[in-house]
Amino acid sequence: MKGMKMEITQSSISRRNLLRGAAATALLLPFGMSLASCAAPGGGGGGGGATGEVTADNPFGVAANSTVDAVIFNGGYGVDYVENAGAIMEKSKGMDGVTVKVSPSTKIATELQPRFVGGTPPDLVDNSGANSIGWNTIIDQLEDLTDVVDAENLEGTKISDTLFAGVKEPGTFDGKFVALNYVMTVYGIWYSSSLFEQNGWEVPKSWEDLKALGEAAKAQGKYLFLWGKEAATYYQTLVIDSAVIQGGDEVRLPLENLEEGCWSNQIIQDILTILHDLIASGYVKPGGSGTQFTEAQAQWSGKEEALLYPSGSWIENEMKSQTAEGFAMMGIPDLPLNGDQTTPAGYMRAEAGEPFIVPTKAKNPAGGKELLRTMLSKESAVAFAKEKLAPTIVKDTVPDDGFGSTALQSQGKMLAAAGDNVFTIKFYNLYGMNSDQLPIWNSFLDGKMSVEEITTQLQALTDKVREDDSVTKIEIK
Amino acid sequence: MTAAPGLDAALDTAAVTTAGAGRRKPLRLGRRRLTFDYVSFLLVFLVVPVAIFLIFVISPFVQAVYYSMTNWTGFSAEMDFVGLKNFVRLFTDTTFLQAMGNNIVLAIFVPLITLSIALIFASMITVGGPSTGQVRGLAGSSFYRVVSFFPYVIPAIVIGILWALIYSPEGLLNGILEMVGLDPNGFAWLGDERTAMGASIFVIVWGMVGFYMVLFIAAIKGIPSEIYEAARIDGAGRYRTSISITLPLIRDNVQTAVIYIGILALDAFVYMAALNSTGGPGNTTLVMSQYLYRTAFEKSQFGLASAMGVVLAVVTLVFAAIVFLINRLTGGRDDEGRL
Repeated sequence: MKGMKMEITQSSISRRNLLRGAAATALLLPFGMSLASCAAPGGGGGGGGATGEVTADNPFGVAANSTVDAVIFNGGYGVDYVENAGAIMEKSKGMDGVTVKVSPSTKIATELQPRFVGGTPPDLVDNSGANSIGWNTIIDQLEDLTDVVDAENLEGTKISDTLFAGVKEPGTFDGKFVALNYVMTVYGIWYSSSLFEQNGWEVPKSWEDLKALGEAAKAQGKYLFLWGKEAATYYQTLVIDSAVIQGGDEVRLPLENLEEGCWSNQIIQDILTILHDLIASGYVKPGGSGTQFTEAQAQWSGKEEALLYPSGSWIENEMKSQTAEGFAMMGIPDLPLNGDQTTPAGYMRAEAGEPFIVPTKAKNPAGGKELLRTMLSKESAVAFAKEKLAPTIVKDTVPDDGFGSTALQSQGKMLAAAGDNVFTIKFYNLYGMNSDQLPIWNSFLDGKMSVEEITTQLQALTDKVREDDSVTKIEIK
Repeated sequence: MTAAPGLDAALDTAAVTTAGAGRRKPLRLGRRRLTFDYVSFLLVFLVVPVAIFLIFVISPFVQAVYYSMTNWTGFSAEMDFVGLKNFVRLFTDTTFLQAMGNNIVLAIFVPLITLSIALIFASMITVGGPSTGQVRGLAGSSFYRVVSFFPYVIPAIVIGILWALIYSPEGLLNGILEMVGLDPNGFAWLGDERTAMGASIFVIVWGMVGFYMVLFIAAIKGIPSEIYEAARIDGAGRYRTSISITLPLIRDNVQTAVIYIGILALDAFVYMAALNSTGGPGNTTLVMSQYLYRTAFEKSQFGLASAMGVVLAVVTLVFAAIVFLINRLTGGRDDEGRL
């Protein structure tokens, strides 16, 4: 080879240059691969499929001997509750030879993207988890689920009469009810009631009480709050929910509709100022921006290093194996700023989570709806509450003893106290803003940002989404 | 070179097919008979691989370039052509520019540190041993060679999760620092803007050193030991030997290594996602591939994400070109088409 070198270099188009070109192409290969994973849009696909006769036992007309293809997010609640409902459905009257196939998935968007594009989506999807499909991109492809809640459940009661207030709200976009959220989630602050009792601490009633409680915690070598890096925005939830509890729609709607200056609302500013003060006083455990959230949460529930943790009600189930003996977890709604709350007492954020959708182009949309109807039966809903220690959107499924869970008891009390006075917050999930907000909140909780800085940065993010005309906006009322 | 006759023949094929069409049998292609052996050989070794390459590599790549000029949301088959708008948006997006900057930092430091260490280890294991007798490595070198390869055997995602725990404020690293008398005071290595990137680079280096060391060992073993003996007789020390003998003689391997690990550094998705899935404090460890994934699957802007993919590919090609150029300018022989 080396001997030949001279001649080859002199020839005008050497074979080597050709090979070099090939080498450059080979370099492209890994990128071709990674780009290739963004699947190509294909043809339209059918949908609809065969339908059966509509009867009282079969209100959506599921065809006999058809298959229901359900893809369920395999997260905190698992998938067995849908499998159980599927087993009930297969034995129901009017479902001759119908089979239900439940496939678990932890990456809904990544896995189902090609199926949506190719026009062969499943009949029922639990569009949940960190990798869920953005709503503003698929609303047009989903069935309106109003007929599901208008139908009668397996026990013969009209389903909409059996549900909590406002459960359709989180799944309604531009007036179309496309997602049935199955699990009732209560947002609030969680604590160990036994720890509070032992020390004679009072549960805080507003943000003004937090400073004194932080001082008391410090005296015991504990912190008031702690956080983990992937869950820093739980504190954004805390701040927003608290401000809405204090000021109602005047705070909520500007945020939800990405208005200019929405973060400069005085109530939000006052709450941020108090939070900043708590951080500066050392009441928030440092180092959260370098701690994984599950580890951080275990420091709260297991080691009891902090008194309070803001979260949704999934926290009890999530930390089940890492909660200290005799912790007796209880929850309170997020806190108003002070005694001048302008909303009704008990006003809180409670929203149905785990959104189930039925794609229009699915082979058997009627089967998807029928499976939902089965899940909304009393039998399935009670089984879920008992198994997962979380209420579904079906009322009266949790007994007073909360199946022995103090957290579930306090959820029941909060929901009863709130009645119809509940609200939801959608914007940051709707526009996929969470990942951009995380670094901001990590820095703020780390004490590296002032109130003005965090306001400017959050506002800049909001403005960017509002001014991006490639993002479809949905007006929220 | 063995592929060349096949290639030539394939080119001939195209040229003479028309001419040959008029003749009667036996079917002939240029000088060659179209025997079963010959046709099946063409089919298996040329047509099938090229077809697979075109269908599964080139066509998705071309498609991605097309998508980068649309506003595709990813979940429907509809999209509008928007020209270069996505690229304009990318280069005015401060977060994307920051991510690109982070990738460039990685592409500079990861190859530099990893390959320097790998080269030092490889020299010590092969030629850095006692300066009397036969040229050989340090005592016990085969043991070190196996041990330093271990991290490469562990999947990247496991390495990431492992180190995320080690770096945690209550993790192993701070525990060790406390044991030796330093007070880290719960320092968050991955949560501080000053250390997050450095700590992440260390993890990638830790994971990759073993592989490149083995690569360099193989290259050094290909150098005749007479050269080392001659250098030793001339009085060259270990440092001098490495710089003036080893490095020039394995130049091609170093270039290959720089390009491969540079590609890894320009991607770095798995390591960064496992160490700091949030993009790190103030996005200081966010890389383009993470931002691409986020844009596609969280914000459902597949058009924009495809544009990021195209930019990433271009950056990678530019990186490779720079490496070739530097090698040429610093007196490297022509690369002989090797990579």
